[in-house]
Amino acid sequence: MSLETLDSPRAAAPDLLRFGVPLALALVLVAFSLMAPGFLTLSNIVGVLVNNVALAAIVSIAMTLTVASGGTDLSVGTAVDLGSLAFVSAIIAGQPVWIAAVLGVLAGIGTGLFNALLIAGLSITPFLATLGTLFIGHSLQQLTTDGGNPVYVPTGSIPPALAFIGHGAVFGVPLALWLVAILAAAAWLLLARSRFGREVLAVGTEPQVALYSGLPVRSVLAFIYIASAAIASIAGILISANVNAYVPYSGNAYLLNSIGAAFIGTSLSRTRRANIPGTLLGVLLLGFVSNGLLLIGWNFYWQQVGSGLLIFLALLLAFTGRRDAA
Amino acid sequence: MTILAPTLAMRGLVKTFGPTRALDGASLTVAPGTVHGLVGQNGAGKSTLIKILAGLVTPDAGDIEVGGTPLGPLSPRGAEELGIAFIHQDRLLVPTATVGEALFLGQERSGSRHGLWRGRLERRAAGLLERFFGIALPKGALIQDLTTAQQQIVQITRALLADPKIIVFDEPTASLSRREVDHLFEVIGQLKAHGLTSIYISHYLAEIERICDAVTVMRNGRDVAHVDPRTTGTAEITRLMVDRDVKDLFPRHNATAGAPVLSVSGLAAPPAFRDVSFTLHRGEVLGLTGLLGSGAKDLVRSLFGLSPARTGRIEVDGRPVRLGSPGAAVRRGIAMVPEDRRAQGVALALAVDENTTLASLPAFSRFGFIDRARERLRVSRLIDELKIKTSGPEAAVRTLSGGNQQKVVIAKWLARQSRIYVLDEPTVGVDVAAKAEIYRLIARLAEQGAAILLLSADLDELLGVSDRILVMYRGEIVSEHIPSETTGARLLAASVSGARAEGIAHVA
Amino acid sequence: MSLESSFESSLAAFKALHLPRAGRPAPPPEAVAAPGLSRGALAGVLRFAGLLALLAVVAFFAVRVPSFVTTGNIGLILSQSAVLGILGLGLTLVLITGGSDVIRGGIDLSLAGTLGLAAAVFATLNQAGYGDTACVAATLATGLAVGALNALSVTWLRILPLLATLAVMNICGGLELVLTENTTVPAGLPLIDALNLVGPFDLPVIGLVLVAAWLILAVTVRFTAVGLRAYAVGGHPEAARAAGIDLTRYLASSYLVAGLLGGVAGILSVAFLNAATSGSAEMLLPVIATAFLGRMFSRRLVPTVTGTLLAAVFLGALANGFQLLHVSSYWVNGIEGALILAVVGATSGLAGRGARP
Repeated sequence: MSLETLDSPRAAAPDLLRFGVPLALALVLVAFSLMAPGFLTLSNIVGVLVNNVALAAIVSIAMTLTVASGGTDLSVGTAVDLGSLAFVSAIIAGQPVWIAAVLGVLAGIGTGLFNALLIAGLSITPFLATLGTLFIGHSLQQLTTDGGNPVYVPTGSIPPALAFIGHGAVFGVPLALWLVAILAAAAWLLLARSRFGREVLAVGTEPQVALYSGLPVRSVLAFIYIASAAIASIAGILISANVNAYVPYSGNAYLLNSIGAAFIGTSLSRTRRANIPGTLLGVLLLGFVSNGLLLIGWNFYWQQVGSGLLIFLALLLAFTGRRDAA
Repeated sequence: MTILAPTLAMRGLVKTFGPTRALDGASLTVAPGTVHGLVGQNGAGKSTLIKILAGLVTPDAGDIEVGGTPLGPLSPRGAEELGIAFIHQDRLLVPTATVGEALFLGQERSGSRHGLWRGRLERRAAGLLERFFGIALPKGALIQDLTTAQQQIVQITRALLADPKIIVFDEPTASLSRREVDHLFEVIGQLKAHGLTSIYISHYLAEIERICDAVTVMRNGRDVAHVDPRTTGTAEITRLMVDRDVKDLFPRHNATAGAPVLSVSGLAAPPAFRDVSFTLHRGEVLGLTGLLGSGAKDLVRSLFGLSPARTGRIEVDGRPVRLGSPGAAVRRGIAMVPEDRRAQGVALALAVDENTTLASLPAFSRFGFIDRARERLRVSRLIDELKIKTSGPEAAVRTLSGGNQQKVVIAKWLARQSRIYVLDEPTVGVDVAAKAEIYRLIARLAEQGAAILLLSADLDELLGVSDRILVMYRGEIVSEHIPSETTGARLLAASVSGARAEGIAHVA
Repeated sequence: MSLESSFESSLAAFKALHLPRAGRPAPPPEAVAAPGLSRGALAGVLRFAGLLALLAVVAFFAVRVPSFVTTGNIGLILSQSAVLGILGLGLTLVLITGGSDVIRGGIDLSLAGTLGLAAAVFATLNQAGYGDTACVAATLATGLAVGALNALSVTWLRILPLLATLAVMNICGGLELVLTENTTVPAGLPLIDALNLVGPFDLPVIGLVLVAAWLILAVTVRFTAVGLRAYAVGGHPEAARAAGIDLTRYLASSYLVAGLLGGVAGILSVAFLNAATSGSAEMLLPVIATAFLGRMFSRRLVPTVTGTLLAAVFLGALANGFQLLHVSSYWVNGIEGALILAVVGATSGLAGRGARP
């Protein structure tokens, strides 16, 4: 650790490293298609995308927004669950599906508003603010479901529209994937191309400078946390439509992988910024690995170990040569 | 008792970093028991020279001798063993530590064999501070509760613990009050009386003149002159540093003050300031100065909506406005160049273009999306206009020098077409050449019709650049001065004692 | 004339007297103008807010339910808080040494996973017929190994702690499932019986283990240079480096000790439940909450060993008291969440000021 590291202007990480995650994804695809004959079939790939990737992708898109603004949203799962709860409750109460969906998203927005109040209003660190929201959301779900019992839509009265949201397809492509595509495109436009995205970038990297440039720092943060929760609640609606039920706390399962995907995705950017394409690659990587491990005969338990190791390797690739970051 | 420090001699040092030659045959000879000044612009090679002495940088060529014994390249440990101590510009103190903890960090057990008793640590710390500086800090205070000056003193005491023979002071007074500076100079005097050697690096040439026995002037990686500060004036030293005459430093602008742009009347934010009234005109540079706590800083902050005033009236172009947030101020065409450039002025991690358009994004957007082509065009033009030295509009601002970073801040407001510029210590921490460029920029802004409020502690700067100067004392404007009819001493008198003697011509 | 000639020297004095300079935080304007009495008093109250809240809760329950302050119930609270407390202590060490910036600083998300894996190792070996010593040794070694993996990732591989420990958490969770096949693995050993006994002071041994762990760590942090240096490494790494402290060693050690404590927590959890059960991952957020809540018991609003112990006991007392009052346990999480927000909301203004170098 001598002169060069000390005195030379900070060297940019070699551009090669930006291809770490795409490379890992390609390796995974090649390796599994060689090892498991059924891996590279259309039906398997669609299955992975619908079952392993779509919901995780939606939650991860929400997470990417908050990571880009310099924070995290530990309560994404809460927004998923409350969205699902409101949606299912409304359907059971006999409301039309579209009204139920609007109510679901409104529940998400409510969660986001609460976070926004804490973060933008009271200046609480996002990590701790959303941790508090997560706890309160947990309690709320326990209280409304008598300790965590799933709420089912009675089998006899499942509206066709609900079945369509859960299992339908448009032009042969499952609805969930359409939603992912639309949300991803919108979030990408917002972050990478829009004026608001630039403001998010400034607030996320240097809030003081953003303030001294006259940017509305608090409104930007408030919007980000509301948007994050609203997007997450869409995942909640999809989950409920899929299983015709609200299953308490099921959203939390996506929390850690969405953080992982968002941060793995930053390795794709030259300047290490959170970005939607990177996040989607991260989600794909995680999804295909667990599927591939299943196909080559690993049981569910070893799959967990395998995907843990893989995230680890992906991080290694993403962080190698990033000595200056610490 | 006299410890005789050895003579330090560094000769013919050469050091290149990639394509840049930081040192090009520089030498530094320091006689034992003296206070030796080291001056030069940023980039002249001072810091590389000091890093070689600290063992942080190995020179490509050159010798180092201590007490006549030639040494190989130094290591940090080697430097420590020779008794060379460094007092850095940055305060390396843990903010949540107590004074005792911060002072003894890394050598907590010296002098006590058993466990660590926090109370004892504090008592020893208090004893040392009393002995070295004759001051007592609040009992049990944390570093973050201390003033910057008190923190600086803890830092210096920390260095003295190692019982050094040669002490290198790197801009030690930047945040000290006058009394504390006096105290520091007394301490340096005592160290000298004990035979210790000090190397004193400062941009404040008056300080150099006051305490140094000899001065080495550096320029372009070489030592260009060795002078006796008692016979060579600061003007001459400045000329040696920049190799050109100081008069060029302050270009006068040819604008004449036009219509009032910003008028403030009866503005108050007790207890910081009260009853502040003044008018800023088109094409005018209005200087503002005052001591710490005079309210000058608070006034400037309130004009940018950072800590809004409670009562009073602010008019922009004759229309009353409320400046409740920086956003509101920016919308009124007010621009702010904050003192803490690296934390508030530029986003270091963002690119030059992203920084430049940060305050004027609506102008570069269509339907909410950024028009990259228009942005790029405008930014490249500003880079050319302001002569910003950067590898391109997409380079991270972090890679730019301090002066160029400051130009990016100004470019940000030019892109916004702001008309009122509030400059808060715009030349702090930039070298003489960059200063001159910033002054030229201020003059040009005024010529183009901008109205400029310049808050500065640098009286030369105020006298050289401003059309009028307001002095604040204890929350009030006490006098107004015209540079051609006043002197630095009068400005100083007004800000130290609130003397209203020099007619408040008309504060309107 | 004399006024003019003295100008040069007075210029220096003037500059020095003047405003603070770039790169240095200006003192808050209130502090300059008025010594900030009211603000100081407010800070003083807030610094005791944690303790006051704890006392208020205890007093409330003591009045409402007399059995709350019996030795038996206090022992119960302690043993109910033991696993959470031990993990919280581990995370506290990581926060102290890594700094409490959530993204860039120290964090160990793998602690709950370590707990689950360690418990699984212990119970599985027990089922395979190994005795006390072998089980304990293997469990602690497991904890250390997880800690070593974290330490390696954070110091040598330079992965962000948040992400590195996230990946390690997943690996731990997977290995736990491999060992237990997602079933409850019962355990029964002389050690487990001993841990479930009531020890000195009429307190259960599990609770005493928590107290012992706190005591050891508190004394180490408070009365040796190690603690002081660990805070320096986390609070201002540059200052620590300049003081000749080996940052890597301290960082790595904090993760190792945290891992070891994860192993200890695993044993305690098996003893408390007489089995290794799934669901340890649910401990993660309470552990984080404990360590961050603990900051409110510190004058400097930094993570402290004692603060974390108090926070763990506080949360335990809260859950226990509600149980005694027959309040639905469903409220507990919500109240914990509200508490975190109240504490953080009240202190964020103070902690934010001058917390950064």
